[in-house]
Amino acid sequence: MNSNILEIQDLNVNFSIFGGMISAVRNVDLTLAKNESIGVIGESGCGKSTLSYTIMKYIAPNGQISGSIKFKGEDLLQKSEYEMRKYRGDRIAMVYQNPYSSLNPSLTIGFQLDEVTLFHRGVSRKEARELSLQALRDLNLGDPEGLVRRYPHQISGGMQQRICIAMAILCQPDLMILDEPTTALDVTTEAVILDTISELREKFSMSLMYISHDTGVINKVSDRIVVMYSGEVVETGPKQQIFEHPNHPYTRALINCIPRKGMVKERYRLNTIPGYVKRRGASEGGCPFEQRCQKKTPGCVEAYGMREISPEHTAACDRAYATDVPDMMDKLIKSHPVKSMPDGDALLEVQDVHKIFGKKRKVYAVDGVSVSVKRRSVLGIVGESGCGKTTLGQTAAGLYTPTKGQILFDGTDISVSWKKRSPEMLKQIQLIFQNPGRSLNPSHSVEQIIGRPMKKLMEISSAQQRRDMIIDLLKKVDLSKEYLKKKPPQLSGGEQQRVAIARAFSISPNLLICDEPTSALDVSVQSSVLNLLGDLQEDTQAAYLFISHDLHVINYISDYIMVMYLGRICEYGKRDEVIRPPYHPYTKALLSSVPEIDPSLEVGNIRLGGQLPNPTKTIPGCPFAGRCYVQAGKICETTKPPRVNKSDSHFFYCHLDDGA
Amino acid sequence: MNILKTFMRRLGSLIVTLVVMSVVIFVLVEIMPGDVAEMILGQSATPESLEALREARGLNDPIYQRYARWAGGILQGDLGESIYMRGVAINSILWRRVGHSVLLAFTAFIIFVPLSIFFGVLAGVKAKKLTDSIISFFGLATMALPEFVSGVFLIGLFAVQLRVFPIVSIIPIGESIFSNLNILILPALSITFVMFGYISRMQRSSMILVLNSDYIRAATLKGMPYKYVIFRHALKNALLPTITIIGMNMGWLFGGLIVVETLFAFPGMGSLLMTAIRTRDVPLIEACVLLITAIFAISTLVTDMLYGLLNPRIRYQGDAQ
Repeated sequence: MNSNILEIQDLNVNFSIFGGMISAVRNVDLTLAKNESIGVIGESGCGKSTLSYTIMKYIAPNGQISGSIKFKGEDLLQKSEYEMRKYRGDRIAMVYQNPYSSLNPSLTIGFQLDEVTLFHRGVSRKEARELSLQALRDLNLGDPEGLVRRYPHQISGGMQQRICIAMAILCQPDLMILDEPTTALDVTTEAVILDTISELREKFSMSLMYISHDTGVINKVSDRIVVMYSGEVVETGPKQQIFEHPNHPYTRALINCIPRKGMVKERYRLNTIPGYVKRRGASEGGCPFEQRCQKKTPGCVEAYGMREISPEHTAACDRAYATDVPDMMDKLIKSHPVKSMPDGDALLEVQDVHKIFGKKRKVYAVDGVSVSVKRRSVLGIVGESGCGKTTLGQTAAGLYTPTKGQILFDGTDISVSWKKRSPEMLKQIQLIFQNPGRSLNPSHSVEQIIGRPMKKLMEISSAQQRRDMIIDLLKKVDLSKEYLKKKPPQLSGGEQQRVAIARAFSISPNLLICDEPTSALDVSVQSSVLNLLGDLQEDTQAAYLFISHDLHVINYISDYIMVMYLGRICEYGKRDEVIRPPYHPYTKALLSSVPEIDPSLEVGNIRLGGQLPNPTKTIPGCPFAGRCYVQAGKICETTKPPRVNKSDSHFFYCHLDDGA
Repeated sequence: MNILKTFMRRLGSLIVTLVVMSVVIFVLVEIMPGDVAEMILGQSATPESLEALREARGLNDPIYQRYARWAGGILQGDLGESIYMRGVAINSILWRRVGHSVLLAFTAFIIFVPLSIFFGVLAGVKAKKLTDSIISFFGLATMALPEFVSGVFLIGLFAVQLRVFPIVSIIPIGESIFSNLNILILPALSITFVMFGYISRMQRSSMILVLNSDYIRAATLKGMPYKYVIFRHALKNALLPTITIIGMNMGWLFGGLIVVETLFAFPGMGSLLMTAIRTRDVPLIEACVLLITAIFAISTLVTDMLYGLLNPRIRYQGDAQ
């Protein structure tokens, strides 16, 4: 008896575009057993999503599919659109990356849930509603009766995604395809959703196909891993095997790109993969990774194809790492460890800053934060979305003025809008944003973008002099002078962010505010940007205020870490004081939510239920009390937690002296 | 509750708009060249009789007094007297005309709105196919024709050749418009010609946008039938921008149909305003323009409220988050 739910054989998907055919998925063979969970990883543009939509037989009209996709023995590619309806949403369900846009804004949640069983099960409206409520209960969502009457925009992103998952399990499908379902969510929410998915898989004995660029997430939910590159499967095998003995150079490079637990900038350089995922024409052959591979040999073009490494483990390259390197991180250690953490005086001092938005409905975005950024150091701010980290950064930059409190830069009061700051002060503080594509003017050339602050703030009027300096700067960010005349839309995301960094450094600032600078980038690009920011900090001695939701990134780049929750500080201290071990229950929960990629590492099991409290209400006690799992008692709700000093540089706010 | 609050706020701003507009209209018409007294009495009037008339009508009073008198009259429902028609109360001419215009606008509305929405949706669903090309071509062609060209064409076809509708839309004396409803058809068709291309293109592009959205993909991959996805998931969202556009044109439809009404000699607001301007009938111009302004403002309000009802994101803005 064949127990495979899904058997994909020799699947090719080509798209005809202006000027020829490009190949999105090629020669893919894949099997998925009942109740098995596979994870598909790869950078963007590797064909992961196309593969999943092809299984649903949902591709753009200019696409051509060949091969076979057997679902429970039936070839889906032979089915008509009408027959496919019986599979979609019933036997195969899908959950998407962006829950907000995947739910119809003008229909209630109940309506959108009910229609699934109405169509697939032919039940009455009343029965359908009952089934919908049951699905919501299966996901442990509180007040299902209230939820079904609401509209998608009235609930949080995490809730929306759970609604989407509830929608997917309504007909108890055999296969659930999840396309980056937690990428847009906070780590704490992500952790809860990943647990839910694993539970549901057990309960309904579903097979899962989980697509993600995040190896940590894949590690958590999958038994088997499929690595895709440029439309091809380059390596596949059991999770343990892939993480411990990755054979394909791409798998290895991808795993090493991620700043893992314990990786810090003083000791390690992050691995990078030069180049980018190229679109390939349908007729181009050979190893897809050849151009970026550090281990390539002249024979790579001919000697190419999947090979068996062990019975369960195959890879499209068996030479590169035939003799395994025991510690993959060995070669990444920096030749000269960077000097120890600077203990300089404060460059930027934030004193009891409050930022309240709105007059009638007050939103307490930043609620009394006092912190300082030391000269030549990196302060990392971490917290869930809505914790006020971005507002704090933008207030320091002068994009907002604080409602109360003071910001001092090098002793000068700068608690005013940037419009009122002197050119000298504007020069001192620069910003890098999350989305370089949207923060660079698309109609300006790279030269204009980088040259403008030089002209305005440094008053270098000679165009030639500016150009020489710009070429120098571009060199520093690993871009050649060919980029001078290019415009942002012609650049890749990583190149855009490099231009943004060059622009920020063009006037030698003393403080750089980085607001999630790597969150929108692929992991391989993220690592090169982090390396670059680390190098530049060493060279220029600038201080950074580095905002990120990713604890790994914060841990890698920061000297000091501040954990924020609902506009207030939870914990602050030197990196190692905050991270190992964490004291504040929230820091602990955050750390415990982060998906780790080392399968042997012990994973935390603290899960935060609920969501951020309403920021329009002032909270008399500890802001975290509502979600805290180790409460000191009633006092948490009623009294502001006292500051507990652990050392000169380390403190946290909690009623428990030792935190969690 | 929320909707009522929004409505009251919008109503308040509507009243402010009307007050401001009434001032603007009054001042503009006042600074127009021409003397009312001379217009009433004619070229040969003696300076003494002119002066006496000015004094009697309060034309020598300062402008704010005259405005107060005029605005006060309007508030009491008195729009003043027509000068050209020798003291006939404007109330007795205007409202009949407004009724005709409303009837015309309504006729045009029930023809072009379903027509252009239907074909717009069809073009959007069949985007880049032959059906879409034909609809889009027809839409563009009718849009490019000014109403006096399409109107003449319609007259030539239906009135001169086929003789099914009258050439001009005149109501015989002593009869009401309801016994002459056939005079509405040609002007309404002419308006449809103008609106069809505009609305259907709008509907087409919003339909395409919605059909490419993630939630339509999600609905399709939930296994919903194609037609159900179009009608239940796509249509409501795709109608929203179109409703705004239609609403924005309602004011024009009710009061600004000067060209169409003149062409067909239709006894409506537009042709009345045209006559008033030609004869420099100041009180009549003021009354017409103020009424058209009011119609514009009210139709915008209605559109916005309707938009809110259809779009839950706006409806519940208050308690979101």
